[in-house]
Amino acid sequence: MKLKKYLSLTRAGIIEQLQFRMSMLVIVLGNLLYLTVVYFLWKAIYASSGTDVVNGMTFSDTLIYLVLATALFNFMEMYTVWQMGRSIQSGAIILDLIKPMNPRSYLFWTYSGNFVVNFFSTFLPTFIVVCIVTHGAVPLGTNLAYFVVSVVMAIMINYNIDFFVGTICIYTESIWGINIMKQVIVLLLSGATIPIAFFPEPFKSITMYLPFQSIYNAPLTLLLNGSPEMSDVGRILVTQFAWCVVTLVISRLFWKVSLKRITVNGG
Amino acid sequence: MAPIIELKNVTKEFKVLNRREGLKGSLRDLFSRDYKTVRAVDNISMSIEQGEIIGYLGPNGAGKSTTIKMMTGVLEPTSGEITVDGTVPYYNRAKNAQKIGVVFGQRSQLWWALPLVESFKLLKDIYMIEDKPYKDMLALYQSLVDIEPLLHKTVRQMSLGQRTLSDILAAFLHDPKIVFLDEPTIGLDVSMKSKIRTLIHALNKEKNTTVILTTHDMGDVDALCRRIAIIDKGKMLYDNDIEHLKGFFGSYRTLKIRTDGDHKIQAEAIRAELPDFSVSADDEWISVLVDEDRQKVIDVLGQLQKSYDIRDMQLNEISTEEVIRKIYEEGVQ
Repeated sequence: MKLKKYLSLTRAGIIEQLQFRMSMLVIVLGNLLYLTVVYFLWKAIYASSGTDVVNGMTFSDTLIYLVLATALFNFMEMYTVWQMGRSIQSGAIILDLIKPMNPRSYLFWTYSGNFVVNFFSTFLPTFIVVCIVTHGAVPLGTNLAYFVVSVVMAIMINYNIDFFVGTICIYTESIWGINIMKQVIVLLLSGATIPIAFFPEPFKSITMYLPFQSIYNAPLTLLLNGSPEMSDVGRILVTQFAWCVVTLVISRLFWKVSLKRITVNGG
Repeated sequence: MAPIIELKNVTKEFKVLNRREGLKGSLRDLFSRDYKTVRAVDNISMSIEQGEIIGYLGPNGAGKSTTIKMMTGVLEPTSGEITVDGTVPYYNRAKNAQKIGVVFGQRSQLWWALPLVESFKLLKDIYMIEDKPYKDMLALYQSLVDIEPLLHKTVRQMSLGQRTLSDILAAFLHDPKIVFLDEPTIGLDVSMKSKIRTLIHALNKEKNTTVILTTHDMGDVDALCRRIAIIDKGKMLYDNDIEHLKGFFGSYRTLKIRTDGDHKIQAEAIRAELPDFSVSADDEWISVLVDEDRQKVIDVLGQLQKSYDIRDMQLNEISTEEVIRKIYEEGVQ
C-alpha cells in the first residue's frame, strides 16, 4: 500500500511527460547536434595526436563512450536543482511541505516518471543504434546486469547531490549560478564530457576519490567492459554503494537543518 | 467537546536583514549582520470547534498567512503552543498533513499538465484514501457541482474559477477534519464566487469539516461565517460572532463620490461640513463613511450635491479595512 503512492507518482509523471511531445523531439534533435560537434571535435583531437590510441582509447572507444554518456545524461538528469530553486523562490515549496510525505521522496517520485519515459525515448534507442553501427563493439553479456545495478545507484547519488545543491537555494534564494556551477562540476568530474582516462595525473587520481565518477564513469566502465575481473566489478559497485550512503546521509542532514531555517525563520 | 484547534499565546518573530539603499548599500548588505526582529504574530490565543466556519480577516501583512502556516506545520511559533486535533503540527508535519486540506487562492496544488481526474487519483494514493470513500466523495461532488466536464480537462486549460473550484474539491478529497482556504475567491467573478461559497457551505454541512477562511471580501464572510476573527499587525483585534460585529457596523455604508477639482482640498471642506463621519480621499474617489442611524446616505448625498458637482458615485458596504480602522478608533467588545 505504501509503495502504491510512490508508483502512482511515477505513473502521473509518465502521463505528464507524454503530453509534451514537442519537447521530446527537441531534446532528440539537440542531442544529435551535440553529438555531431563531439564527433568532429574528437576527430580533430585524434588527427592532431598522430597516433590511433590516445590514453588507451581508440577514436571509436572514445566516441562510443561519449555517445553513451550523453544518452545516460539525458536519462538521469533530473533538473532537481531547478525545481527546488524555483519552488523555494516562489514559495510554492509550501505545497510540497503540506503533503503527507517526506518532501525528499515526494520530489524524487514526482520526477521518476521521466526516468521511464527518457529511458525508452533516449537511452534505449541510442544504445541500440550504437550496438548496430559499431557491429558489436559493445559487449552484450553479464555486463548489462552490472550496468543496471550501477545505474540505479548512479541515479541515487546524482539525486542526493542535486538535492544537496537544491537545498543551498534556501540560503541563496537564487538558482542560476548554483545550478550552472553544479552542472559543470558534475559533468566534468564524472567523466560525462571527457573520459576520465584523458585526465592528467594527479587530477585523475583525485577524481577517483570523489563521488562524481560514480555517476557516469562507473556505469559506463561496467557497460563497455565485456570480460571484467570480478574484483574490479566488486570494487566499482562497492564504491558506488558507499557513495550512495554517504551522499544520502549528508543531503538528508543538510535538508533537515535547512528546513529548520524555513520553519523557524519563514520562507 | 474538546476544540479541534487550540492556539495558546502564539507569537512568531522573523529576523529580517536591514536593507540599505542604493548600490553601495546593497554591497554593504552582503556583509551585514544588522538584523531586526519583526513580530508577525503577537500573542494570539484562539480555540476553534469542529464544524465551525471561521472568517479570519485582516489587511495585507497582518499575520494571517503566518498563523495559517503555523497551523499547517510549515512554520514553528517562536513561543506559545498550537495543537491541531491533538497533535502539534510543526513536530508531526506529515501526520498533521493527513488531517488537513489547504487551498491557497494564488497557487494550485494540482498537477498542471494532467487531467483533473488524474490529479484526484494521485491524491487518492498520496493520502491513501480507500476506494469506497473516494467514490462517495466524487458522487457528493457531482451532486453539488457539475464536475463531469472538468474531470477530463487538464488544469492548465481551465479558467481561474474552474481551477479554484478544482483546488477546493482536491483539498476536501481526503475528508480532512480541517480545511484552510486562503483567499479562495480572489480574482473571481460574481457568479463563480457565489458558486464557490455554496460549495464550501455544502461541504461543511455534509462532512462537518472545520473551515478556516481568510479573505478580503466581506461578501465571503457574510455568506459563510458565523464567527470572525480580525487580526492586525499581529494582534487579535476581535474574535466573536459576526452578528455582534454587524450590530455595530451594519448601519455603515461607504459613499464614494467623484467630483471636478482637487479631491484633497474638497475632502477637507466636506470633513468640516460633516463632522460626524470619517472622510478620506484619493485620486479617484472621496469616501465618506456614513452611519445610517444618524443620517441617511441619500440625505448626505443631497447635502453634498448642493455644494459640489458630482460626476460619479458608488455606494459600498463597509470594507474590512474600514472595520479595522473603526475598531481602532472606537473599540468593540
